[in-house]
Amino acid sequence: MTLQVQPRRETMTSDERMSAIARGDRPDRIPVLSFTGGFCASIVGYPIRSIYDDPEKSFWAQTWAQELLGHDGWPTFWYASYGGWEFGGEIRMPQSELDQAPVLTRFPARTPEEVEALEIPDVETAGYFPLYTEFARIQQQFGIPVMVPAWGPFTAAANMVGVDKLCRWMIKQPEAAHLLLSKVVAFAKRIIDYFLDLFRGHPLSAGGGCATSSNQLISPRQFEEFVLPHHSEVYGHLSGKGIKPVFCHICGEQNQNLPYWAEVPFGERGILSFGGEVDLERVMDIFGDKHIVAGNVETRVIGEGTWRDVYEQARVCIEKAKYAPGGYVLMAGCDIPPSSPLYNIYALKKAVMDFGFYD
Amino acid sequence: MATEARKKEILKGLYDGVVEFDEDKVVELSNAVLAEDVDAYEAIMDGLAAGMEHVGDLYANQEYFVPEVLMCSDALYAGLDILRPHLSGKEADVRGQVVIGTVEGDVHDIGKNLVKMMFDVAGFEVHDLGRDVKLEKFVEEQMKTDSEIVALSALMTTSMLAMPKVIEMIKARNPDAMIMVGGAPISQEVADNYGADGYAQNAANAVQEAIQMVSRLREMGKA
Repeated sequence: MTLQVQPRRETMTSDERMSAIARGDRPDRIPVLSFTGGFCASIVGYPIRSIYDDPEKSFWAQTWAQELLGHDGWPTFWYASYGGWEFGGEIRMPQSELDQAPVLTRFPARTPEEVEALEIPDVETAGYFPLYTEFARIQQQFGIPVMVPAWGPFTAAANMVGVDKLCRWMIKQPEAAHLLLSKVVAFAKRIIDYFLDLFRGHPLSAGGGCATSSNQLISPRQFEEFVLPHHSEVYGHLSGKGIKPVFCHICGEQNQNLPYWAEVPFGERGILSFGGEVDLERVMDIFGDKHIVAGNVETRVIGEGTWRDVYEQARVCIEKAKYAPGGYVLMAGCDIPPSSPLYNIYALKKAVMDFGFYD
Repeated sequence: MATEARKKEILKGLYDGVVEFDEDKVVELSNAVLAEDVDAYEAIMDGLAAGMEHVGDLYANQEYFVPEVLMCSDALYAGLDILRPHLSGKEADVRGQVVIGTVEGDVHDIGKNLVKMMFDVAGFEVHDLGRDVKLEKFVEEQMKTDSEIVALSALMTTSMLAMPKVIEMIKARNPDAMIMVGGAPISQEVADNYGADGYAQNAANAVQEAIQMVSRLREMGKA
């Protein structure tokens, strides 16, 4: 492994770099985005829960961590367990060093009858959204694009009834699964409209993801029936409003779903991030000319490996994707464990500084 | 008393019922096992468990995914619930005891439940602590039940970090307890780094690992 590389100078600010890649222009170097959640809190001395339940601390912890690490992009506010709380379930914010992300403690529905009875919530007061709105106002205050939440309906549905129920319903009671998904879609579109109205005139982007649709859980055929149409409806609504760029984290092992993901209307030049389990070369073939591809250094390596392991994986990713016509962003494959060694995360930046400049 | 041909037909029906996740068929044939005096142990092992083993292969080959496997497990349990009370004393003897749970901070329990099912089928006595389990609870339950094995599950990269802590806690109280880890972010390398005694790549593999662990303990005279 080559560690002695001629130092290069950045000729763009982080904002200029992100704007360039969003426009389709080539930046000075490959941007590197954080996927650091609770890690940011841990390195600035805040409790992990503050990333999720304290918008101001979350904003500053992410800002400071990005400054320290030299990463690009802007602070974001999200959590993977979305759906359950907003529809009336209960959630527990991280409370101990082992409790590193919010978890659902009660689902809002467990039977098709309870799904039938679910009402589409009021965005202003539902679950996470009062906090989300507070965070968005901080983004607005600092001139950062407000990120409109773009829910993955399948993940939200699983968070509303439990993954086990949703899995069984797909086979035994598909009409219950589709009813649930249609309610999520209705709410997801309402969320988009709400934030669009609230922050009209301010620069907007959009972001979300989908973890539960991975092939670690469901088949490509099930993806086609239960994920693709609902996800397309939400993202079609989003791109129809002209919001861009749209960011989507396609989480986990999704290799067999990739051709279906290609059918989702992400709009012009979405930013699609992929898990470390996905074949980056195949991703480039399918998405590389239309969208900005982000990924996909294995989170496990960042958390458990040495900084040299991370640096080497990042180098390989850069080599594969650097000249993608749509653009490429180096990123971890998923949320980085808060206890990851600091230098492992810096190793991503080190790799783009050594291998990511465009000549 | 069923004829040999009828017995074969019932066992094949139980096998197919599990593979095709036909719960009604499994219930009907499990009742036929009792009514027609077919050996319940044989029905479980050569019908239900054999069917589940094939399901494991279908899952490994990506012909089945988690939704299908969950449906198969429902069919399997429907049969087990009917047949298990009719096992003779010797057949009901357990191969070992296992404490199982998803670690604190993680509420995902599908994988854990599938592993639990495989332990059930394989004749282990399973002490299921559920999900989001406080680490001390694993230690207490292992001591209380004197289980040979503790099986820890985690789905998230953020929650897997509880594993080395609980392994250390259990080993401090009982160095002979065997610890197995599994879940999407876990690999053999991670299991080794955490100090686990075994790694379950999937549900079927978990049982094989467990049987080997119990054998090792017995060879050492510790189980």
